[in-house]
Amino acid sequence: MATRRALKAVLVDLSGTLHVEDAAVPGAQEALKRLRGAPVMIKFVTNTTKESKQDLLKRLKKLEFDISEDEIFTSLTAARNLVEAKQVRPMLLIDDRALPDFKGIQTEDPNAVVIGLAPEHFHYPALNQAFRLLLDGAPLIAIHKARYYKRKDGLALGPGPFVTGLEYATDTKATVVGKPEKTFFLEALRGTGCEPEEAIMIGDDCRDDVGGAQNAGMLGILVKTGKYRAADEEKINPPPYLTCESFPHAVDHILQHLL
Amino acid sequence: MAAWRERLAGVRGVLLDISGVLYDGGAGGGVPIAGSVEAVARLKRSPLKVRLCTNESQKSRRELVGLLRRLGFSVSEGEVSAPAPAACQILRARGLRPHLLIHEEGFSFQNMNKAFQVLMELENPVLISLGKGRYYKETSGLMLDVGAYMKALEYACGIEAEVVGKPSPEFFKSALQEMGVEAHQAIMIGDDIVCDVGGAQRCGMQALQVRTGKFRPSDEQHPEVQANGYVDNLAEAVDLLLQHMDA
Repeated sequence: MATRRALKAVLVDLSGTLHVEDAAVPGAQEALKRLRGAPVMIKFVTNTTKESKQDLLKRLKKLEFDISEDEIFTSLTAARNLVEAKQVRPMLLIDDRALPDFKGIQTEDPNAVVIGLAPEHFHYPALNQAFRLLLDGAPLIAIHKARYYKRKDGLALGPGPFVTGLEYATDTKATVVGKPEKTFFLEALRGTGCEPEEAIMIGDDCRDDVGGAQNAGMLGILVKTGKYRAADEEKINPPPYLTCESFPHAVDHILQHLL
Repeated sequence: MAAWRERLAGVRGVLLDISGVLYDGGAGGGVPIAGSVEAVARLKRSPLKVRLCTNESQKSRRELVGLLRRLGFSVSEGEVSAPAPAACQILRARGLRPHLLIHEEGFSFQNMNKAFQVLMELENPVLISLGKGRYYKETSGLMLDVGAYMKALEYACGIEAEVVGKPSPEFFKSALQEMGVEAHQAIMIGDDIVCDVGGAQRCGMQALQVRTGKFRPSDEQHPEVQANGYVDNLAEAVDLLLQHMDA
């Protein structure tokens, strides 16, 4: 491994790492306070296609986590940043609840397509409008490409199939902005003056959190909460820098060994 | 162009795509493409054998022929190869009971999701797609075709669909058989560079692309498929065929 520099930033996943559904991971609030006492910057990074930062913040506050909105970086933020960098006017095929994260973005006369998980928009007229824009050269930005997800009434199609269909029809490739894309992690650090080699990621998803972060040049810590299943740490090569019980253990490791 | 004679002299049979070659669909049924009604009539008066070969799956063969006749084309059901009848043969032969995701139902999220759930519950999922076109042309503009939805279900379920219709070789072969013409004596005329032109060429036919319907100028520089010729419309193709075929 390349020589590492002093740790400057800690990226923390939300769902499954700080909380599991509506319950905080035991000791996570105190651990976060301990981490705030150290000279590191903290960012909360998550893949979401329907929860705005406001929604996330509300839930975290209810669980008594001390977090501010500008510390949160989501796949929706990443999509917004890309839209701004490309200076395009997107057609937004995303859940209405996610719209606050795109406030102020020009969407009249669109020349780009942003697609997330939005079953209510995946009807023929909307997809056909997106298709025509793409055929005219508009870029396709996908929040993520999940094949399906679990709903109360069974499995349901994710955004991935619709992204794939549009890619096929127009012979183009979407830019995927969420975890585990390398650009997601780099984008989360943008403007912080911190290099990937100076950052560490803590999460419960071995591929998307740990694998993605390590692929971007960071260290990755896998926690055995949330979606973690036995032997998950064997799913990636190189393996996680560290696998530990839960977020508080990860914080203790950082405070004792990496500062 | 002297080369046309070389290419067209031995042609005995012509396969015609319908949508984008004979007419453009749209509100009220659609409109014939200029010169195509007369071109089909001239072909049928000539010694060449003619068959219509379509991936149309939004209407039945009877409805399609009814529409064409209203638009002025003299065609009958027996002259049309379409994917739905071919799919029915396959379903019967294999004893399959399909969940139908067809036009009446529409490509809504709910209907796509129902098909997805059916596939995920099968031990050996079978997805039969009537064609795999990327898009087609209506008078209002280009429209997403069934191929996009086929790809969506393939990706979601991690499976590969069986395509019935163009560009499947079985579909072209059975159309040739109906016409009684060998592949090397046949020519396909269509507006889809991949499904019509590429598909027919892989079966040993020649193929012309018309610059009507879904044609886009970039098709003439397609990275994988090069037509045996490009013509402005069906009328020009028929002019060339009648001029250069062996007397």
